[in-house]
Amino acid sequence: MSHTQDKSSAFSQGVLVFVYLAVLTLLEYFVAVTFNAVSILVVVAVIKAALVMYYYMHIYKLNEDSGDDQHSDAYKTGTNRIGLWLFLLSDAFVFAGLMTARINLLGLTRPHLNQLLGLAVTAVLLISSFFMNRGETAMAHGDKKGFFINTLITFVLGLGFLFGVVAVEWPLAAAEGLTPSSGVAGAVFYMMTGMHAFHVFTGLLFMLVVLNNARKGVYSAEKHWGVEAAAVYWHFIDLVWIFFYPALYLIGKLL
Amino acid sequence: MKNSSPARGWLFFAVGLVAAYAAGVGLVYAVSGSLTYVHLVPILLATVVSATTLSWGASGFSPLTKGFLGLTLGGLAGYGLGLVIDLLVQGSLDWVTPVASLFSLLIGFTAFFLGVAGLNAVSKGLIWQIIGTLLGAIFISVIRVAMGLAWSGPFLFTEPAWVLGGFMGVLFFLAGSGSVSDWFKWARGIDTPEHHEESHTGWEKYLSISLDHKVIGIQYTITALFLISVGGLFALIFRTELAASQLQFLTNDIKLFGQSGPQLYNTFMSLHGMIMIISILLGIAGMMNYAVPLLLGAQDMAFPRLNAFSFWISVPASVLMLMSLILGGFDTGWTGYPPLSARAPVGMQMFFLGVFTAGWSSILGALNTIVTVLRMRAKGMTAFRMPIFVWAAVATSIIALTATQLIGLAFQLVMFQRLLGMGFFDPAKGGNPVLFQHLFWFYSHPAVYVFILPGLGIISELLPVFARKPLFGYRWIAMSSMAIALVGFLVWAHHMFTSGMNEYLRVPFMYSTLLVAIPTGVKFFSWVATLWKGKIWAPTPMLFVLGGVVVFLLGGLTGPPNATVSTDLHLHDTYFIVGHFHDTIFGGFVFPFFAALYYWFPKATGRRMSETLGKIHFWLMTPSFFILTFGMMRIGLLGMRRRIVDYDPALNFDATHLVLTISGYLIAISVLVFIYNFFNSIKNGEKAEGNVWNSRSPEWQVPSPMPTHNYDQPFEVVGEPYDYGLPGSKYVEFITPVKSGQK
Repeated sequence: MSHTQDKSSAFSQGVLVFVYLAVLTLLEYFVAVTFNAVSILVVVAVIKAALVMYYYMHIYKLNEDSGDDQHSDAYKTGTNRIGLWLFLLSDAFVFAGLMTARINLLGLTRPHLNQLLGLAVTAVLLISSFFMNRGETAMAHGDKKGFFINTLITFVLGLGFLFGVVAVEWPLAAAEGLTPSSGVAGAVFYMMTGMHAFHVFTGLLFMLVVLNNARKGVYSAEKHWGVEAAAVYWHFIDLVWIFFYPALYLIGKLL
Repeated sequence: MKNSSPARGWLFFAVGLVAAYAAGVGLVYAVSGSLTYVHLVPILLATVVSATTLSWGASGFSPLTKGFLGLTLGGLAGYGLGLVIDLLVQGSLDWVTPVASLFSLLIGFTAFFLGVAGLNAVSKGLIWQIIGTLLGAIFISVIRVAMGLAWSGPFLFTEPAWVLGGFMGVLFFLAGSGSVSDWFKWARGIDTPEHHEESHTGWEKYLSISLDHKVIGIQYTITALFLISVGGLFALIFRTELAASQLQFLTNDIKLFGQSGPQLYNTFMSLHGMIMIISILLGIAGMMNYAVPLLLGAQDMAFPRLNAFSFWISVPASVLMLMSLILGGFDTGWTGYPPLSARAPVGMQMFFLGVFTAGWSSILGALNTIVTVLRMRAKGMTAFRMPIFVWAAVATSIIALTATQLIGLAFQLVMFQRLLGMGFFDPAKGGNPVLFQHLFWFYSHPAVYVFILPGLGIISELLPVFARKPLFGYRWIAMSSMAIALVGFLVWAHHMFTSGMNEYLRVPFMYSTLLVAIPTGVKFFSWVATLWKGKIWAPTPMLFVLGGVVVFLLGGLTGPPNATVSTDLHLHDTYFIVGHFHDTIFGGFVFPFFAALYYWFPKATGRRMSETLGKIHFWLMTPSFFILTFGMMRIGLLGMRRRIVDYDPALNFDATHLVLTISGYLIAISVLVFIYNFFNSIKNGEKAEGNVWNSRSPEWQVPSPMPTHNYDQPFEVVGEPYDYGLPGSKYVEFITPVKSGQK
């Protein structure tokens, strides 16, 4: 799959990547509930992450030649891109630290959580990433209506994910006795999902800003750094969940 | 009083000092009927009043006089307000309530900046920080009342209220000072110009939001110098107590900020560590901000607004750190290990919040530096033609960008453990206190490379200028900075040899730590080889460079005994570590930082600092410092524990400790000489607008001070950066000729 493409093949590439991700997510779930081989779960998560980073976050754009003129818009976008990716790298260390805490404290055990609910919120977030990609692709090809519709769907799905975690999963877990102060498993669970939910929340705010600015006509097919940044940030949030979901719901024996 | 008169200033100073001290003693006696606090209240009062009268006598009713007047009156008014609030809440009058001290600090500070420059970014930000803190605290208190919980605690509000208040205070500061105005405009779809016209031209621009990297660099530097003074003052306070065994100064009958004397010792000792660390981070950010774009030939940093944001967020962070002193303090040392940090007073939370906030300054500044170096270089400046300081800045930024998040996370986890009972580090709930140490040291060890790499870069940058010889092994030096940064990620557990972590981890961490000596050795080899047969010329900056090399060598040589497991088991937690650490930080940061300040001062101001005072500074500080750290290491080897308020007289350390305290005071005096020299030279220094140091670096090829957007003509790199003394060699060539020309 090449990088430069017309609108319809960009869209169909998004669909194809989404199908891969969906199949891998189901495979991961199947492995977890049957023979729970941690190594396979890790490999699947890494493949999913690579797919998202390459096809949805367009990491290869970091390598794009943006000319020598430091005052051109293309050059400035290239600079912004490096800045955003460095920020994500920095942010990734927070999540890596949380993951370290989880591995250190819980090892090959997992808290008592509803695995199907976990799969459901994961699916919602994954589908939202798919629509975010469609929204960004539409803007890159000057299709502002397509951008609006797809980004709005993303926003609603993102809100759904946030609702699913904070308003459904948290009370359910608490009702089962897993509270922040009940023990180290509860502490890890609420801290990891809470930190992730905070990022989802900021991603949603970012999306609102972009939608509002698009309504005002700030972006065009050539110049839409805000849209690209919001999309890459949103996919990064999905990327984090690709690791957090198996770490909390799938890996290891029940406590 | 119109014309300035230093003599009259000193006269007024003496009068103010004596009068305010006497008034303070009288006040304490009138209030308490005893002289328990006689050495604290009058000293504070005498300090602010004599500063006011000094400024008044010397320069009349100048902005600075108004500022000090604001500090005095605001501090007193704030104290009164705090007393009234505490009286209303507690129902009884407590003359030494921490609430009064807190309001005194916040309102006094705000009034200082209001007096100096009216309503500007700092004073607006501070006013909004106070409002935000109170709003956040009141918000939680209202919720607590609604839930049927107590809303007030020993420090007016409860701990959760102070945490949200502290956090909201930071956000309100940023919004109120105008640091984020352009981003809010962007979010609403309003375009702003790439650069703003400066709203002020004189010194007032340093107190307002500026996007110019040179202004921001100087703002960072001044803030760093302020925090170094605060941290140094704390050191003097606890050093005074240590001068003799038993408690004489910070005694048990003291009750200040809700703490007894020994508790105050713990708080001062802990805050000395972290305030110095933050001041170092701001100091390196100052050097990097000022010098990196100039060395690269860039107009500014890659993200000017982010740059301003990175600086301004450090101001509320500093306020939070000082608030932690007053809100009960904390007794964990700067490391904040649980379980102690999980039950220290509320000041612990302010400390965590302050570090977290300052961490963002460091992270975002590092991000900006890396992007600037990647994207904003002049024509022809390939990687291996970059100045060595730029390499050091990149290496240091890689660590600051990534690892800083983990100290933030570690502290957040303790915060939440305290607030919500989450059991991360509580063994009773299945938690693991050693995990905290891993997360903490994953940043805090590489952090020392964040502190020293820019300084080592300064040494390599300045040595060739003053030895008039090419830098020996340029590529090796550039790569050694990167190597130290990368190996630095793999050594953190050498702080934990005695912590009870898995024993098989000790040996790999011992060897990875010893590995750091190789790239560091490369640097020393290069420095010595650069000096070899050079035409050495030693004005003040070079003195500090050479001092830095020697002191850092001592720090380096005392490192392996701590890295080696067998010896570390004995040395851990002794004064040997304290001596070693101060050697590395003075050699790697303090000396090079002073060198950089003396070196680039003419570039920033068009004047140079007094050589005589500079030499007094150097020759007073260096021997005192040697005595200080040698003494520390000596008693450390003999078994003196670090971080304790008292020691057994039978150990026979009294004489050494007295000498250490005296050396500490001598260092403080030398820094006062520097601060006087610094501020005096801005106005009265000898004019120096040309290439003062006869440097090849591009920023010295144009007249000082630099214009707002740096170089009027872009330059192209045509040769090697450090080919001093080679005939016909050239580093940069301006694309259209400029007046001062190449030397």
